[in-house]
Amino acid sequence: MIYIIDHKDSFTHNIVHQFSKFDKQVECENFNNINIKKLNRADVLVLSPGPGSPINYPETSKIYNKFKKRKKIIGICLGFQQILFNENGKIIKQNKIYHGFQSSVKVTSNDSLFKKNKEFKVGRYHSLKLKEPFFSNNFEITMRCKISNVAMAIENQTDQIYGFQFHPESFLTENGNLLIKKILSA
Amino acid sequence: MKKNNYLEKLYNSKKPFIIYKVNGGYDLYTDFSKKFFLNNKNINNFFNKIEKIKDKNKFLNMYIGFFGYEILCNLNNIKIPKQKNLRFPKSIFYKPETRIQIRKNITIKSTHKNYDQLFGKKVFNPNKILSPFKINIDINKYKDIFNKFSQKIKEGQTYQIKICTKYKNKSLIDPVNLFWKLMKTNAAPESFMIRDKNFSIVSCSPETLIEKKGNKIKTKPIAGTLRKTYKTNLRTALSFFKNNIKETKEHNMIVDMERSDLSKICKPGSVKLSKIKYVEEYKHLYHYVTKIEGKVKKNINIKGIIVAMMPGGSVIGCPKISTLNLLNLQEKESRNIFTGSFGFIKFNGDMRFNIIIRSILNYKNISEISVASGVVVDSTPIHEFKENYIKAKSLIDLYR
Repeated sequence: MIYIIDHKDSFTHNIVHQFSKFDKQVECENFNNINIKKLNRADVLVLSPGPGSPINYPETSKIYNKFKKRKKIIGICLGFQQILFNENGKIIKQNKIYHGFQSSVKVTSNDSLFKKNKEFKVGRYHSLKLKEPFFSNNFEITMRCKISNVAMAIENQTDQIYGFQFHPESFLTENGNLLIKKILSA
Repeated sequence: MKKNNYLEKLYNSKKPFIIYKVNGGYDLYTDFSKKFFLNNKNINNFFNKIEKIKDKNKFLNMYIGFFGYEILCNLNNIKIPKQKNLRFPKSIFYKPETRIQIRKNITIKSTHKNYDQLFGKKVFNPNKILSPFKINIDINKYKDIFNKFSQKIKEGQTYQIKICTKYKNKSLIDPVNLFWKLMKTNAAPESFMIRDKNFSIVSCSPETLIEKKGNKIKTKPIAGTLRKTYKTNLRTALSFFKNNIKETKEHNMIVDMERSDLSKICKPGSVKLSKIKYVEEYKHLYHYVTKIEGKVKKNINIKGIIVAMMPGGSVIGCPKISTLNLLNLQEKESRNIFTGSFGFIKFNGDMRFNIIIRSILNYKNISEISVASGVVVDSTPIHEFKENYIKAKSLIDLYR
């Protein structure tokens, strides 16, 4: 079962439908209205996009830290930042903001589930980004924006934690389903 | 428009009626046997009652009317702080008994046998302008709000937000006269008018929010408007939108948001972009449009559909909930009908609703025209302020 924590975003149900392609049971609830029983039962935890910054969602941070290493965790946009924030990363404002923007990303790491140097187009909706350099045990930045070099994906294969700064569920993202499929079967 | 005895008599009476644009003409509804004033207390009951009606497909088994902005926020559990308001009803729905199809020919069908004698006293409804139009937010105030919202975008609280400005005058209007005048210049696909005893609404809304037949549901968000000139055509309009990064980004955002709203109520995998980023041509402008459709899940009721889709995202901003909260904290005056929805619910669950924009509300001898345009990363306050005026102007011009 996949449990999606919604941060009251307007893209979350695209994610619900995307994950429904790979699992018959997908549950989605608001971050301030979590059903602990369901959450406990889930194999995969998804942190949704949403407005604001990770620091605005202490409830989600608690859940992340509780279930880290116990469940596969996938973060998207704000969810991606939420993971980094809890791994001592700093989330800062960008000079150039991307909302509804399609840009190219590139796989930059050998240790990724995805093939190194592969390039594809993705949809972006973010005001904030990860401050670099960023180091954390077992975490690796695996994709970057081709032009600005901003971190676009992280993978921690040891603890099965993954995140995308872009939106795999957006109609602007090529092969979004494939990305999710690979992570779910990893 | 062809002269017709019945319509002449109706227009010159005090009788309430509604006109709704359809493909190839207009449907006029009148002889209302029921009228519901909806509020937070009775709205659930209203939805439940429709679900329970047994005779679902009888002629005119439908309610037609509107949801104002406030009641739609409330349905989404969003409270609006105290605002200046005219005490205009939050939502009204009517049960019609007579329908007049205005096409090449006029066809009247009614549940009343003597429908052509139900007019009452003949009256004359003049247009009278008692004071000039005034705007509620001047350019300096507008700039302040704009900068405040730009800051919210940089912080990621919202990705796109639409500032609403309002033009008001004191006037008596004949909505029939204004509506047909407007239809000559801009017969937009979601146009409608309501004439009731103490208020009227005249609108040339272009935007379809919900079109539902059986379990098929469609929405057709508009994001992107270009004014026509002698140099433009469909092809140049499309390349303008495609090459304009700001318009493209705004449009993309709305498409993903509407996909998500539909996904709340549709079967997984059924939500599809059926026609993506194309241009619709109107008399004075071009719109950048995408059609999205899906199949409604079995356990979803009428209320579920309304709450998932309304208020229509393209005129609010994104993400919807946090953006609505930012707007409600900012706005000192009630939006009334603006960015609400007008349309009908058939007792069999089919429905059609628009987004109420480009409209005049006349109530207590005040006409108000609300308009909104978007703050995104790369917009400027002066451009958007002017954009608002252009949107209001075609309606203001009707008063000349």
